[in-house]
Amino acid sequence: MNLSQYLPLTETTYFILLALLKPGHGYYVMQKVEELSGGKVRIAAGTMYGAIENLLKQKWIESVPSNDKRRKVYQITILGKEVLNLETARLRDLIRIAESCGLQAEGSSHD
Amino acid sequence: MIKHRFFINRIDSIEEWLESYRRKGYRLADVKVSTGRHEFVKTEGKDTVPKVRVDYRVFKKQEDFEDYLSLFEDCGWRHIGGTRTNGLQYFEQAAPFASDEIFSDSISKAKRYKRISYMWLHLSVMYIPMAVVLHTSGAFDFTKLWHLKELYYTPGLWNMEGMHFWRAFLFETPFAAMRGFGGLLFLLLILLGAWFGVRSLFWYLKERKNCN
Repeated sequence: MNLSQYLPLTETTYFILLALLKPGHGYYVMQKVEELSGGKVRIAAGTMYGAIENLLKQKWIESVPSNDKRRKVYQITILGKEVLNLETARLRDLIRIAESCGLQAEGSSHD
Repeated sequence: MIKHRFFINRIDSIEEWLESYRRKGYRLADVKVSTGRHEFVKTEGKDTVPKVRVDYRVFKKQEDFEDYLSLFEDCGWRHIGGTRTNGLQYFEQAAPFASDEIFSDSISKAKRYKRISYMWLHLSVMYIPMAVVLHTSGAFDFTKLWHLKELYYTPGLWNMEGMHFWRAFLFETPFAAMRGFGGLLFLLLILLGAWFGVRSLFWYLKERKNCN
């Protein structure tokens, strides 16, 4: 299967996959995403539920057993990790290209 | 105060309608989605009335429904109306840390209409095989509507008299009605389902277009 057809990922998807490198329930993911993004990405409940449903369908995340009776706990799958790696490589590549064109990250000085 | 608003309405218009009562200081106290019954209670000062938002989802399993409700509760949105199977889910903003809306992007918000549309179209398509069966068994013979007597199959019914006749007549009437109007009823259900489905699909596509 050619996974690169799914790229680029939306920012929301990318952050959710990152958050689920460690298992957690929906609300954990929301908090983690907010923390990772420094408060820039805030996912609301309805959007979060739909995103989880979607990622489960694509088999990028899976539900894992837990002690919590009411909340389902999810974790990234091997497939999900592959997608995450591909997207990260793509972004890295873009940055490398941008830098080769003389573009520097904001606030950093050229030596 | 009790008002009715049905589930066939566009969700955005239901939310606007609820908002108009909120602004007048009415808090939504109870909702029965199946009958469209909304009970409002007058409160003091409009600042204290919590916001209500509506999602559309049905669940096959109870555990999925619980998981969904827990997520909203964790986020500070209290479930105040809707059941596992009837679709419209009402949430009240119950905590100070709750987000402003229950959707953080417009595509996931538009998808409410996609789910509603699929539900109606599914319903409509489900009735088609039944209608075909009815058709082949002659239920769509509309000419019978002009000869109502022929809808009754009890031998010698029209020669009976008095109590005997009325008992046999009334006993068969529901069956006769099904024979005569059942086909029409199915046709109506199929067309209604298709109409509501297409309408919701149109809303979905329109909102999606606005996203891009």
